[in-house]
Amino acid sequence: MRGVRIGMAALAAGLLVICTQARSETIKLGGILPLTGPGALIGTAEMRGVQFAVDQANAKGGIRGNQIEVVFEDNQAKPDQSILSFNKLTDLQHVSVVFTGYSGPTLAMAPLATRKKVLLVNAGAQADALEKASPYLINTLPTIGGEIEVLSKYLVGEGKKKAGILFENGAAGMAGRDDYLKYYPAAGGTILAQESSQFGQTDFRPALLKIADAKPDVMLVVITAAPQQMAQEFKQLDLKFTIAGTTFLSDPSLIADPASAGIVHTQLRIDAPPDLAAQFKAKYNTDMEFFAKQYYNAAQIVLTTLDKVLADKKPVTGEAMHDALFEIRKFQGLIPLEFKTNTASVPMDINIMRDGKDVLLKEMKPE
Amino acid sequence: MLALQLLATGLVTGCALGIVAISFSLVYATTKIFHVAHAGIYTLGGYLAWSLVMYGAPLLVAVLVSVVVCAALGALIQNQLYARLERRRATHLVVLIASLGALAVIQNIIAAVYTPNILQFPLVWTSHMVALGVVRLNYTQLLTIVLSLLAYAGTMLFAHGTILGKRIRAVASNPMLADITRLQPQSVYIYVIAIASALVCLPGILVPLDLGLQPYNGVTPLLTATIAMIAGGVGSITGAFTLSIAIAVVQNLSLLVMPGEWSIGVTFFIFVIFMLFRPTGLFAAAR
Repeated sequence: MRGVRIGMAALAAGLLVICTQARSETIKLGGILPLTGPGALIGTAEMRGVQFAVDQANAKGGIRGNQIEVVFEDNQAKPDQSILSFNKLTDLQHVSVVFTGYSGPTLAMAPLATRKKVLLVNAGAQADALEKASPYLINTLPTIGGEIEVLSKYLVGEGKKKAGILFENGAAGMAGRDDYLKYYPAAGGTILAQESSQFGQTDFRPALLKIADAKPDVMLVVITAAPQQMAQEFKQLDLKFTIAGTTFLSDPSLIADPASAGIVHTQLRIDAPPDLAAQFKAKYNTDMEFFAKQYYNAAQIVLTTLDKVLADKKPVTGEAMHDALFEIRKFQGLIPLEFKTNTASVPMDINIMRDGKDVLLKEMKPE
Repeated sequence: MLALQLLATGLVTGCALGIVAISFSLVYATTKIFHVAHAGIYTLGGYLAWSLVMYGAPLLVAVLVSVVVCAALGALIQNQLYARLERRRATHLVVLIASLGALAVIQNIIAAVYTPNILQFPLVWTSHMVALGVVRLNYTQLLTIVLSLLAYAGTMLFAHGTILGKRIRAVASNPMLADITRLQPQSVYIYVIAIASALVCLPGILVPLDLGLQPYNGVTPLLTATIAMIAGGVGSITGAFTLSIAIAVVQNLSLLVMPGEWSIGVTFFIFVIFMLFRPTGLFAAAR
């Protein structure tokens, strides 16, 4: 009889512990980003953006009393590593939301996200194929086609009617090349040459020389790694035409390098209030660059959605998060976003790199 | 202009590759070991020099210290890994796997210590340009050509004009006879790998000086150098060096007639055909 009492007491104590945990548990989110390798600079900025938003939410008491933890995995921007990380996060950590970046890795994880009903949140990759890769993949920025259409019209309007393309032999690079081949001639320009590079490659000289030989007015660049090396070699070869590209060129190391002077690129618009940017700089000792802002914004979207799921007393699953996100649809973060489809649409600008800074050249809008 | 510039960049790449091929050829022809860990030593040389330069050492000092450390590491690999395996009568396949293991260890230690991010030498002068007619090369590229040619000439002089060089060639030619005549092949193997490691450290520094450092970048040059060594004739220093330059130049000049993504495949297809007609290599008789 005494043993039964002790057993009952232990059971009651156990239940109490479980109930206490259920009231204010830590909710885990995942992040699969390139934290090392050629994409590390951007990946680290993306990670900081997410972590900054989550830390702010936790400091205010969490989401409905629940603390949020983000478990980050380093994929080195490699699709195969991304799949391993995705399975690890979903099977072992049981996350229902995964932040992702870079087109190849995101496209590799998309079928798994559909099968496992895990919400993939992309705020950096832009290959056109991402639009319809998975119903569980949401893109908080438009795909590259929209930017290239705007950039092509701008460049041709500026009299740069002859172009060469330097593209990366990967999902994002090839999508960008196809978009240039479609939109640049449609805007009235001519593509004279196209050369490829490999992800992480740092010797661009042969490709640059081949493009230069076609005597273009502008070189349209779609590379996601080592743009700084590309710009340095371009300058060393004393090539005179303009380098142009999309938001992919928003690499802090490139912008800071004197070799980047004169590079023109589209820039998706996203601004951080001065006090927020100052807090970020105080915490990480670096400016809140484009990708940090993008992922801060994406994290805010996820946290807002999580708040709704918890308010509706639903389990925090990928399916519930997905449904809640499309019920909310309009988000007021660093920039107003609306999800009519899986991919948000945002305004963009044309920027030019000068004196180590990215300077606004012209405000544009996607058509 | 394009052809000349492509030829020049091909020469630069080929010269650096040539030293990798010479050093690998020295090891393979003498020890018969497919020393894949050589790629790790190539990579390590660059990182060591980078660290020393970051700590304020002049580049020359950084190069010399890196060369010595790489030579010591090569000797250590031979003495503590390959020699032990040989004493236990390990097959060539087992030694190859051990070498691959050593490569993985070196690469992963480098990645863990330095991260796999692209690192650049903080030396502005290395990218200063020199115009040679219509061809433009930077100081690093010119240095690569000059030092590689000197290294090639030095290796030839060493192999044919010194006692140790002749001893190495004797062991390479017939290890059993060399053992009987007390040429001590095991100590020769240590010398050979140390010398080869010191040699490969040079392009291991010069290439990253121009293009930046990445921990896993040693394997591709080694594979290309291996092809050059075989096509040039195993054991031929001139063959390995010449074919390395030929491969790099053909690869660059092929851009004149085809897109870049085809150039590597087509270049190596040409060499496969070449090997069908001359399987012993171009300079096989000129050892």
